[in-house]
Amino acid sequence: MLRMPEFQVHRARSAQEAVELWHGHGGAEGRGKDAVWSAMYLAGGTDLLPNIKHRLFTPKHLISLALPRPEIVDEGDSLRIDAGVKLQTLADHPLIQAVLPPLAVAAGKVAGPQIRHMGTIGGNVLLDTRCLFYNQTESWRQALGYCLKKEGTWCHVVGGPKTCVAAQSSDCVPVLLALDARLRLVGLGGEREVSLRELYRYNGFDHLTLTPGELLTELRVPKPAAGFRGHYHKLRTRGSIDFPELSVAVTGAWEGDAPQALEIVIGAINPQPKPVRGLDEWLGRPLTDEGIDAIAALVHKQTRPQGSIIGDPDWRRAMAGVFTRRALQELRAASA
Amino acid sequence: MKTILPLRVNGETHELAVHQHWSLLEALRYELGLTGSKQGCDKGDCGACTVLRDGEPVLACCTLAATCEGSEITTIEGVADKDGPHPIQRAFDVCGALQCGFCQPGMILSAKALLDRCPQPSDEQLREALGGNLCRCTGYTKIFEAVRLAAKGLDRQSPVRYGEPAEGFLVLGARGRKADSIQKATGEAIYTDDITLPRMAHGKILRSPHAHARIRAIRTERAEALPGVYAVLVGSELPTPYCVIPWTPDETALAIDKVRYIGDAVAAVAAVDEDTAIKALALIEVDYEVLPAAVEPEDALKDGAPLIHETDWKGRPRQDNVCKEVALDFGDVDANLAASAAVVSGEWFYEGSTHAPIEPHCALATFNPDGQLTLWSATQVPHYLHRELSRVLGLPTSKIRVIQPVLGGAFGGKSEPFDLEFCAAALSRKANRPVKILYTREEVFYSHRGRHPMLMKMTLGADADGALKAVDSDVLIDGGAYHSFGMVTTYYAGQLLTGPVDMASYRFKSKRVYTNKPCCGPKRGHGSVQPRFAFECGLDELAEKLKLDPIQIRRKNALQSGQRTVNGQLVPSTGLNACLDAVERSSGWKERHGKLPYGRGLGVACSMYISGTAYPIYPNEMPQSAVQVKADRSGRLTVFCGASDIGQGSDGMLAYILAEETGILPDDIVVVSSDTDLTPVDLGAYSSRVTFMCGTAAQEAGRKLRQKLIGGVAGAWKLPEERVGVALGFLYDKDEPGRQISSKDAIWLAEAAYGPLGEVGAYRTRKLGGDYRGGSIGASPAYSTTAHVAEVSVDPETGQVTVEKVWAAHDCGRALNPQLVEGQIEGSVYMGLAEAIMEAHTFREGGLHLGPNLLDYRIPTSVETPDILTHIIETIDPGGPYGAKEAGEGPLHPIIPAIANAIFDAVGVRLRRIPFTPARVLAAIGQAEAARLASK
Ligand SMILES: Cc1cc2nc3c(=O)[nH]c(=O)nc-3n(C[C@H](O)[C@H](O)[C@H](O)COP(=O)(O)OP(=O)(O)OC[C@H]3O[C@@H](n4cnc5c(N)ncnc54)[C@H](O)[C@@H]3O)c2cc1C
Ligand code: SF4
Ligand code: FES
Ligand code: FES
Repeated sequence: MLRMPEFQVHRARSAQEAVELWHGHGGAEGRGKDAVWSAMYLAGGTDLLPNIKHRLFTPKHLISLALPRPEIVDEGDSLRIDAGVKLQTLADHPLIQAVLPPLAVAAGKVAGPQIRHMGTIGGNVLLDTRCLFYNQTESWRQALGYCLKKEGTWCHVVGGPKTCVAAQSSDCVPVLLALDARLRLVGLGGEREVSLRELYRYNGFDHLTLTPGELLTELRVPKPAAGFRGHYHKLRTRGSIDFPELSVAVTGAWEGDAPQALEIVIGAINPQPKPVRGLDEWLGRPLTDEGIDAIAALVHKQTRPQGSIIGDPDWRRAMAGVFTRRALQELRAASA
Repeated sequence: MKTILPLRVNGETHELAVHQHWSLLEALRYELGLTGSKQGCDKGDCGACTVLRDGEPVLACCTLAATCEGSEITTIEGVADKDGPHPIQRAFDVCGALQCGFCQPGMILSAKALLDRCPQPSDEQLREALGGNLCRCTGYTKIFEAVRLAAKGLDRQSPVRYGEPAEGFLVLGARGRKADSIQKATGEAIYTDDITLPRMAHGKILRSPHAHARIRAIRTERAEALPGVYAVLVGSELPTPYCVIPWTPDETALAIDKVRYIGDAVAAVAAVDEDTAIKALALIEVDYEVLPAAVEPEDALKDGAPLIHETDWKGRPRQDNVCKEVALDFGDVDANLAASAAVVSGEWFYEGSTHAPIEPHCALATFNPDGQLTLWSATQVPHYLHRELSRVLGLPTSKIRVIQPVLGGAFGGKSEPFDLEFCAAALSRKANRPVKILYTREEVFYSHRGRHPMLMKMTLGADADGALKAVDSDVLIDGGAYHSFGMVTTYYAGQLLTGPVDMASYRFKSKRVYTNKPCCGPKRGHGSVQPRFAFECGLDELAEKLKLDPIQIRRKNALQSGQRTVNGQLVPSTGLNACLDAVERSSGWKERHGKLPYGRGLGVACSMYISGTAYPIYPNEMPQSAVQVKADRSGRLTVFCGASDIGQGSDGMLAYILAEETGILPDDIVVVSSDTDLTPVDLGAYSSRVTFMCGTAAQEAGRKLRQKLIGGVAGAWKLPEERVGVALGFLYDKDEPGRQISSKDAIWLAEAAYGPLGEVGAYRTRKLGGDYRGGSIGASPAYSTTAHVAEVSVDPETGQVTVEKVWAAHDCGRALNPQLVEGQIEGSVYMGLAEAIMEAHTFREGGLHLGPNLLDYRIPTSVETPDILTHIIETIDPGGPYGAKEAGEGPLHPIIPAIANAIFDAVGVRLRRIPFTPARVLAAIGQAEAARLASK
């Protein structure tokens, strides 16, 4: 069977202990594709362990996050979701279902049931980018001649030596972005809070702005305003197991058939989820069919799927428009 | 270094010595010996390793053992309790939900987690909850049934009952369990990788990173010097070429001077553990001279293309990359086409696909001090493996024993010898200890032997009334790097198309070409699924042109029982019309075909398939199949047969037939199969031959034994033998039915009368086939027929095709156990529809496989697999045992064209290339729309 290289496992009982263990076991040197990881955090392991089996990472130490029971808590104007909350818990949680339904939907569409019982929301947000030429065994990548993101010099998707367009493939992230989630990070120097919007950048081999070693402890999602409606659509070949080939999150506040606020985020296209810009002009008035078509066209225009994951990029791009239109039709109809 | 881990498993605490980098699966299987949790994909993609962690389903292969302290783990072995198997396990057994069983421990645990949380799940919840557990055998149909039954509640104490047998039979025709299904459901069944021997070493194989290269040198010293390495093996040590077809040997166990595809085996290592073996592989230095590669058959045929094999199997230089070419014609095709009222001509492409059994190949070899080799292997052809091992290892067959343990799915993918079997044996000989080799999922993809990609040019012509006048077919077959069953494939691509729809004239050319890719071979419906797709789509187009109903055109041309096909094959029985009637009725065809709203459609297709073949792979006059039975004083019967139960249920089939003949209860019949030391030869599980051939052999042996039981009782009762009847569990006096004697007592009487009770039976093939060169290939003693209707919806904005429902009618002759027949039909439909809508075994330009794993190579889950409604049609075949034919492969064929034809009914486009991906469907709709606008 595909084996993991040797490493030591350390179980951390608190965030502080985890950070100390990480640094105490050599942390990491460099970042992105040049990073050499001596220690890595392990949450559910559903992203990291397959990657380790593929020798994409060969850490000497895994800091297993065995923190006290993670919770989802109503904090008045926002919900606190501990990073260790399992995806299935998120999908089933009454508070999430009531307050942030599209997040429950997205979490419930991740992979298959087992992985949702293992994978955490923290791991989902920090999931490595994915690519057909990267998420493969060592021997396969050797036969390929490796690639820019790992051990090589050439990107087989864009056909060049500079850019990596491996795809951010989390189901929850587009929704969390649309909802303007914030993250609490703990490092040796203390805590900080950042907006999820600042977390990702368009660089597949270094797509997180996080400082290596920073531990994600919780997410805070503002409670949506009155009239909230949301939708998440995941495009995938199979009804289970598959990562998204494209995802469309639409959230906003509505009065009847008039959106008062609107966020659209497209995921699984490239290293950076794409918040669609220029939606303001449709706010504050009834959304007509023409308006919906125009927004769908705007989404189509701004969506640039890359061939790093399956699905013809042009087709996926067209689908961004189609599923946006369908989402808006559904949300508008929800007023009735 | 290992550390001690206290682990709670199935309610007990174990102090386990584990490596920190071990997964929970490794700890359970290899340290605790709980081998019920299976390893299918290596990395989170299949669900075979599912266990419960604190009651929730998790994947043991992606869980570190070291993080499980404090959790309560439940494996399949912990699901049963002191009162016996859990109701879910019982339900899986009763419903025939287990075929190969390899996915089932995981499946059952997922089902348990669901029912524990939600005792009465909706359909959607059920599908969703099992979505992470891939099953390659069942099409999930019977699994859903089983979970629903378990939810309803069933009495776990009551003995498993069989249904009502067919009229006039004791057992046959009754719905019943499979021979070993409760062992599979409880995790007790032993598959090859579940076997561990003392001092066992682990083998690994080094594979080529180049599609085509000459091996200049291999240096193994550094690997040999690594502590823990017992032996290193290179190709020159096993120089004898082999092939499943003995006169076309073009493969060696390990490459000697050339590698021919990425993944070709180059060297092998045996070491104290897999980690050490992997490290040793990295120390082997291979000096390659990279050669230009021919990845596509069109390239391989070009002038100046690199020669993939420089010589043929007789050592003569080759001029080109053509592996095999066949051209045959029957009747005047050109004249008939010219005279046809309608002609359809087109080019269809059938993409390659692979078997993807959930169990990866595995072999374990050991030599005893006398130099006797025992090899356990996940093979479906122990006999051929036995022969080729002897040839390659240079050992007489008398020194080799091949055992096939329980097999976790095969579908043709394990029907020839593989590098790991030779390497395990040779390494074991060299290292003087047992050696096990287990493929990674990636290696399973490289070993392949799956569906050949075929490019088919086909022309069909018919009269105005739809009578099929002529078919002209030209097929280019992409063979991959080696021969495999190549010559058979090349014939099958033409020979098997001539029924159940008859044609007045037929011509075919087929050409199999070597390419620098993993070798293709026999996948369920070997060689004939691809042309069937082209033909049945073409037939649909003919019906459209002639304004005929698609079912009508097939009925019009139906071959009749006892008729010969245009290429001279005698078809003793065919049930095409009955199949068509059944699916026409149940699908509501007349009311709905052509009348559904845009985006929804129905399509039909049919097919015929062989039930065994006259051709035994190596020519000999001996029986193709043999059975021995022994009855002993305990009242039990033991059946010995070389047949391979690959999940299809042949062990059960043998038991039912013996029960039918002798009256001994099926559960009192032990089947010992596929062990070359213990069982008489059967050629293997391929060409849908097992029920027909082993069944006939079993029938003969059973009849002889029955006669002795009757004789024993008649003698003791001083009655003429005609007066003694056989019933289930007892014999009786026909004139005085109250007078009975148990089967067991009858065995005593018979043994007293005749001595120890043992009988044999055999199946010999008659001379069959057309009187021309190649006429015997594709000739079968019987043919099954199938018709399917598929209902699809097509989203015209996205191109997504959803198969909503399939009605499948299959004529299997007599259904010896309808539950198993349904399982084969459902599994076939599932596998075929996967090829139609999503699977693609494809490669990059340089010959690198595009995703050799179960995440990139998508096989359908329980969520998108449609409901499959089966109709069993029984045209009692004059030659088959009790009239039985096959059910394992035939029912796969029509589903692909049925879906294509349904897409046409839904959105008016003809797709001629599989798989029907949304992007392709959308493009076709767009083109049709553009053409429509242009023509206005
Ligand atoms: C077959 C398969 C299918 C999948 N399908 C999907 C899918 O459809 N959609 C989807 O979104 N995902 C999918 N996944 C990916 C993965 O399962 C999920 O994204 C999951 O949420 C990852 O969480 P985890 O806890 O398992 O992360 P881990 O694997 O434990 O960690 C992921 C990464 O984040 C880091 N990390 C984790 N937690 C923290 C923390 N608190 N602070 C700092 N760093 C941290 C780790 O070091 C690692 O680099 C799939 C995975 C598999 C194997
Ligand atoms: S996008 Fe290019 S560089 Fe990035 S992982 Fe894929 S092939 Fe490698
Ligand atoms: S072996 Fe664990 S998911 Fe396949
Ligand atoms: S029974 Fe499910 S894979 Fe064989």
